[in-house]
Amino acid sequence: MSVCRENANIRDNHRRLLAEKFELRRNLYKALCKDTSLPDELREENRYKLSKLPRNSSFTRIRNRCIFSGRGRSVYETFRMSRIVFRALASKGMLNGVKKASW
Amino acid sequence: MAPGSLKSILTAAVNTGVTEARARIFGHVLNPTGLKSAHKILRKKLIGEKVAQWYPHDIRKDDPLIMEAEEKERTNKLEMLKRRGKGPPKKGQGKRSKRKS
Repeated sequence: MSVCRENANIRDNHRRLLAEKFELRRNLYKALCKDTSLPDELREENRYKLSKLPRNSSFTRIRNRCIFSGRGRSVYETFRMSRIVFRALASKGMLNGVKKASW
Repeated sequence: MAPGSLKSILTAAVNTGVTEARARIFGHVLNPTGLKSAHKILRKKLIGEKVAQWYPHDIRKDDPLIMEAEEKERTNKLEMLKRRGKGPPKKGQGKRSKRKS
């Protein structure tokens, strides 16, 4: 059960680390620039600062990828793997408490 | 009864009084006029830590021997391809960039 070295995964991991690093600041700038009760130049300054943050520190740029295959689509968040890998592992019995449904 | 009747005025006053008292006690942020407020963004919990822990740590990285062996295999494979003339092209000579110019 090795974790493959995927370029997309590496890039995504880089984005996640940046997002964690800048999160607090980002929230603060965004909150300050949207507050209507503040003077306009303060809002403008905060908007500028928000735009200066690196793009890869945005949460919207992160995609939950499969940790085994690097697949970007149909990845379940509770298992962190794509449907294909999930099916393979579950059939082998490697996922605890997961069995084929029939009722 | 008249539209601004005494009963409705009284109930409105009592309600505002109760909400203000509740906010004072529990430290809530009030917005009776409904203007846009920055409080909505600031009250959210921080998720950065959980997000950054998506990919599990590869234990093969802790062993320098295995890392060196894998790196050697990678360079060997690359060398074999280059010998056959199948290695990666120089910058600006790839399929797409050639097609563009």
